[in-house]
Amino acid sequence: MSTRRDQATAILQAFLQRANKASVVDDTTSLHGEGLGLDSLELAELSAMLEDDLGGDPFSEGLMPDTVGELLAYYEVPDPVGS
Amino acid sequence: MAPSDESGSPAAGYDPASHYDRVMGGWALLLGNELHYGVFDAPDEPLDRATARLTGLMVEASRLEPGLRVLDVGCGSGAPACALATAYGVEVVGITTSAVGVDTARTRAAAEGVGRVSFEQRDGTDNGFPDASFDRVWVLEASHLMPDRKALVEECARVLRPGGRLALCDIIRRREIPFLEVRERREEFATLRAAHGAARMDPLDAYVDLCRAAGLEVDLAEDLTDRTLPTFDHWQANVERHRAEVEELMGVDEVAAFEASNDILRRFWLDGTLGYGILAATKPA
Repeated sequence: MSTRRDQATAILQAFLQRANKASVVDDTTSLHGEGLGLDSLELAELSAMLEDDLGGDPFSEGLMPDTVGELLAYYEVPDPVGS
Repeated sequence: MAPSDESGSPAAGYDPASHYDRVMGGWALLLGNELHYGVFDAPDEPLDRATARLTGLMVEASRLEPGLRVLDVGCGSGAPACALATAYGVEVVGITTSAVGVDTARTRAAAEGVGRVSFEQRDGTDNGFPDASFDRVWVLEASHLMPDRKALVEECARVLRPGGRLALCDIIRRREIPFLEVRERREEFATLRAAHGAARMDPLDAYVDLCRAAGLEVDLAEDLTDRTLPTFDHWQANVERHRAEVEELMGVDEVAAFEASNDILRRFWLDGTLGYGILAATKPA
């Protein structure tokens, strides 16, 4: 059974593939600048994908993660509805 | 405003320059021969008069004089460079990152018999020219496609001779766009990106700050948003006027994307999100 973090990782990979971005990332990879170089529109698209599939995302809550690890950490909290 | 580069997969027998010419022909029908925004004194005046007015404002801001050496950053198909060299007796070096654009510009200059113009494939944010090698730098609707805006302005300042001038006009961002609004309007932004490339707009003040940080003295920074607004109605009228021809030249999807982006840009102009600005600055002697 996959965790919400696993699901978020899969969504991130799908997004990166669609956006033609680097697919090899780790927790320290920055979402911005020299890392994945996502601009505000790309972050908005990622945010929407995460919320659509997982029911929430850190960007919409104003958390604005800087790295892949910070983004995925948001999904380490157990899902109260057990998705 | 027209796309600055090629895209798509080449097919057998594909001739990039020929394809570029066809697409640029379509853009010229939509945007007018000068391929940029117009500055209107009245909404119903002809588009070509308004686009000529914007060019005139840039010429005035540049303080062009015969014999000066001008760097045209983001020279597109070379039409403005040829026009400047012919009309003002200046030497123009046009640069673009598009190899096809360079070929097209060289062909244009040869066909028009324009001397004192040359075109090279170079990046405006790292142009490679010697320090202090130009009297003027001209950046017309090219900066929004260069994300490293600081590098662009620094390079412009670096290649200017003391006393030289930078003139720049482009789409500007007129307010902060909160993340949640970007998210909510992401389809609109994505449509703009599909039609016009991965642009990033900065406030006019940000350009001014970058110029000052690069050692330039800014003497003009004017918001032209209201005066450029009628441009969108004229572009839409051109779609209606030339639909069959531009769909043949550019493709139905491309024209549809242009119409959609035109509507979005008009809304952004009206709601104070985006607009248009011009600035000029001098490198101290």
